[in-house]
Formats: sequence, C-alpha cells, structure tokens
Amino acid sequence: MAKSHSELSIILRGVAKDPLGLLGLIIVGMIVFSAIFAAWIVPYDPIGMNIPDRMQAPSLSHWLGTDSLGRDTLSRVIMGGQVALKVALPAVFGAMAIGLTLGMIAGYGPKWLDNFLMLFFDTVRSFPTVMFALAVVALIGPSLQTIVFVVMATSIPTYGRVARTQTLTLRNSEFILAERAMGASMTRILGVHMLPNIIGVLAVLAAMDIPTVIALEAGLSFLGLGVKPPTPSWGALLKDGYALIRQTPWLVVGGGLPIILATLGFTFLGESLRDVVDPKLRKNR
Amino acid sequence: MFIYIVKRFALAALVLIVAVTAMFLMIRAVPGDPVSIMLGPRATPELKASLIAQMALDQPIWKQLLIYYGDLLQGDLGVDVFSGRSVADIVFQQLPYTIEMISLSVLWSATLGIALGAYAAAHPNTIIDRVAAALSVSLVAAPAFVVALLALLIFAVKLQWFPAIGAGEGFWGRLNHLVLPSFAIGLSWVGYIARLVRASMLEVMGENHIRTARAFGISERRIVMSYALRIAILPVVTVIGVGMGFLLSSAVFTEIVFARPGLGKLVIDSITTRNYPIVMGAVLVSTGLFVVSTALADLINAILDPRARSAD
Repeated sequence: MAKSHSELSIILRGVAKDPLGLLGLIIVGMIVFSAIFAAWIVPYDPIGMNIPDRMQAPSLSHWLGTDSLGRDTLSRVIMGGQVALKVALPAVFGAMAIGLTLGMIAGYGPKWLDNFLMLFFDTVRSFPTVMFALAVVALIGPSLQTIVFVVMATSIPTYGRVARTQTLTLRNSEFILAERAMGASMTRILGVHMLPNIIGVLAVLAAMDIPTVIALEAGLSFLGLGVKPPTPSWGALLKDGYALIRQTPWLVVGGGLPIILATLGFTFLGESLRDVVDPKLRKNR
Repeated sequence: MFIYIVKRFALAALVLIVAVTAMFLMIRAVPGDPVSIMLGPRATPELKASLIAQMALDQPIWKQLLIYYGDLLQGDLGVDVFSGRSVADIVFQQLPYTIEMISLSVLWSATLGIALGAYAAAHPNTIIDRVAAALSVSLVAAPAFVVALLALLIFAVKLQWFPAIGAGEGFWGRLNHLVLPSFAIGLSWVGYIARLVRASMLEVMGENHIRTARAFGISERRIVMSYALRIAILPVVTVIGVGMGFLLSSAVFTEIVFARPGLGKLVIDSITTRNYPIVMGAVLVSTGLFVVSTALADLINAILDPRARSAD
C-alpha cells in the first residue's frame, strides 16, 4: 500500500510539472469537488420551482439566470456535474474491469478463444455508439442505468483490445516464463504479474474516455432519452435551453460550457498522464 | 493482396451477420411479446394479427431468423407499421441528407486540418505551430452537439447570419443550410487531422527520398507539396474511414439541433412515436455503412502501404 502511494505521488508530481496537465488536474479537481459537495454549495434547491422568478436573465441573485420554471441555473449546473460523474465513473470503470479481464484472457488463453473474443470485440465496435444507444433506449426505456449499460457495452472492446496487445507482448517475457516454470497458475500469473503492468495504460485510456461518456450522457439527456426530469443534467439544461432558445439562451451556455470544460480537463489530464505513465504511447491519440 | 481483400470482406460480412443476429435477438429478449412492443400501446388486435403473420412469429425462432435474413438479402427491411410504407424506402429517402452533411464536414475539416498540419510541420516550434497544437487539443475536446447548439445560438439566433432550421431548397439554399451543421461536425476533426498530418509529415520529411530531393536542389515548397504531403496524408484516409461511426453519431445530434431531415432525425422521431421497424432499419443501415467504410479504409490502407497487409 505504501509503495503504490508513493508511485501515485510521483505520477501526480509528473502531471503537475506539465502546464496543460496541471490545468487539467485543477479543472478535474474542481468538478469532482463540486460534485461531491454539490448538496452544500448549491445556492438554491436545484429542483425547487419558483414561478414568480421564471426566465430571469443572469443577475447577482441568480448568476446564470433561471429557467421557465424559475429554477436556478447555477444550482442545476453544479448538481448536473454530480449526475455526469455518477454515469461516467461506474460506466468507465466497469468497462475497464471487464475489458481488462477479457483482453488478458484473449492474450494469454488458447488461440480459438482469442479469435472468438476478437470477433466479439470487432462486432461490438461495429455498432455506431449513438445508434446502438438509441436502439437500446428505444427497447428498454431511458434511465441512468441504461446509459451506464450502453457505455459499458460499447467501450469494453477498446479496453479489451489494448489489454490483449499488452498481454501478448508481456506473455513471453522472462519473468512470466519464470513464473510459469515454477508452476504458477494462470489466475496468479494474470492477476499478480500481468495486471500491474497493464493497468497504467488502461487508466490513461479511462481518463480520456470519461469526457466521451459525459458527452454521451448529455447528448442522450438532450434528446430526452437520458436521465428523467426533474433530475438536473447538463444535457437536460441544454434541452430546456434549446426549447426556449430565444427566451432563455443562458441555459444553453450554462449547459454547454461545463461539458466543454469537463472534456478539456479530462483530455489534458489524460494526455499528461499518458506522457508520465508511458511516453511510448505519445505518437497516436 | 487478393487473399487479404477476401479475408477482410469475410470479416466484415461475419461482423454484420453477428450484429444483425444480436439486434434480432435483442428485440426478442425484451420482456413482453415483440408485437406489442413494436406496435406500442396503440395496437389494435387486427394490426397485431397481421404483424404476427408478416413477421412469421408463429414459427420457431431459428426459422424466423432465416426469414429475416432472406428479407434483408432482398433489401427488405420490413414495413412501417403506421403508414404501411417500406422501411427501406423511408430510410434511403433520408440517407442522402445525412451523407451530404457528413461529406461536407469531412471535406472542409480535412482540407483545413491537412493545411494546418503541413504548415506546422514545415515550421516546427514556431508560434504558429504552438498555437495550432494548443488549438487542436482544445478543438478535439468539443462535442459536436454542444458546438452545434452554441453555433445555433450565436450565428442563427443572435446574429442571424445563417438559417436555424431545415435543409433548404436549390443548390445555394441547401449549401447555406449546411454551413452551421457541417461546421459543428467538422470542428473537432480539424485539430485531430492537423495533429495526425503534422506527426506523419515530420516522419516523412526525415526520410531518404526527401533528402535526395533536397540534394537535387528542388525547392522546399515543391518537396513539401508534391513529395512529402502525398505520403503524409495517408493516415487521414484510415482515420476518416474508422471515424465513420463517430461521424454518424455526431450527425444524429446535429440533425436534431438544426431540425434537418436525415437518418438521425428519422430515428429520434421514430423512437418518440414507438415505430420500432424504422428504428431497427435505420440502425441496421448505419451499422452497415460503418462496417463497409471501416473495411474500405483498411483496404485503401493495404493498397497504399503493403506493410499493413500482414499485420494482425
């Protein structure tokens, strides 16, 4: 535990040295902080209606204005960050865990299993994500869990393929051969010896994947196929703003800017993490 | 090469078959009988009975699947339950709008991206290179539908430079309606392509044949334009082919934002009216489009770069 702690601080220090990485770290830190403490920092109740104050332009009492039901936009933006992370984190980590397991099995197991899993990965990847998401939402109905499921299902292959490639390159390295010669089981080799060598690359991938998921959740909520009202979500803000774009344009800005900011933050952080964890990956996105 | 082509298309076909089967089973796996789900709460008993006969739901499941494949091979995607029109007709009527929007987006973003990337590579570590690099990272981060909404707000609602909704009439009208949507879809690609071209350009510029060309006294401008750039833009082809799924996803949102006709608008409208045959038809067509374009990108890559053929 102590060892991984110091490794983490080395990585964080590396990220903080890079100006864009530091910026990313600050933005992500702010988003995570405001999401965790959302209930305490919101100036108003994010779902409390206040009809006399409806459709007010940004002012000192409502920094980002109010919507057609008189709800405070800033409060909804802050609460929306919590919803975005509630979708993105479980989806990305779930996909990473399953992709990692399947990928390692594909890379280490017998050839037929590898072929089968690769076909599975290629098939899942052949669905355009949003179209697949729409088909699933149409069939089982919109909810937070549906989005998490769709994201997990569509991004497992990305993690799986990377984990497989990494496993294949490690497979014949000396320390793995030595383990095998000593009679270590497959679970032990994969879990204790392969995993620590693969997880770094996948963590970078996950950091870069979070903004995609946030955008997908916002997109589906914008279409009215994501989280259900009155739950505040950045996409729902965009939806309300779009419906009354001439009367309450500040909703579009209030919903759009956090998405762009979050995307920028996680992308900067991810790129910087990548350079620290594995400089070889730098060439391609 | 021939074997590679056959293999690649066999894989594409296999992937399509698995995808279609998965989609087919997904509809059947949903609790409740498929007819009520497909027709929604508005179904009358007569409509249900005719759909059961039409979809061969009284047959065993493997037979249903075979019938479904048979229909697909004949280009039959089923029938719209409300209007009775062929789903294939409806989908292919909307498809051109989506294709023209995606094509224009790719065209402008690839042109600008390649120019930016080539310029940055020819003048590495200058201010313009740095600005281009920072710009590319930031642009890549902007999701198309957010850009679309902000562009709609600024350029259509506030400034009123461009129309806000529809697809327009006549060549100029259509082009005018395409400006904002293709701006929104293409924006994130400019930065991505610029980074890609810059990296591959720097690689190519270090190669022997470029050095030889320099030794012959050929002008730097000509070297960049006619020797280096030709090779450096190859990865762009692959990336666009593989990015087709991403482009289609952006198109769905952009069509909604600008109320444009197209595949995305068709799907969303059909979901709201619970018109499942059209949803499935459109999803299948776009999946097919994606699989074919990925395979084509791989093929073009293999033709241009023999090393890619043996990989994997």
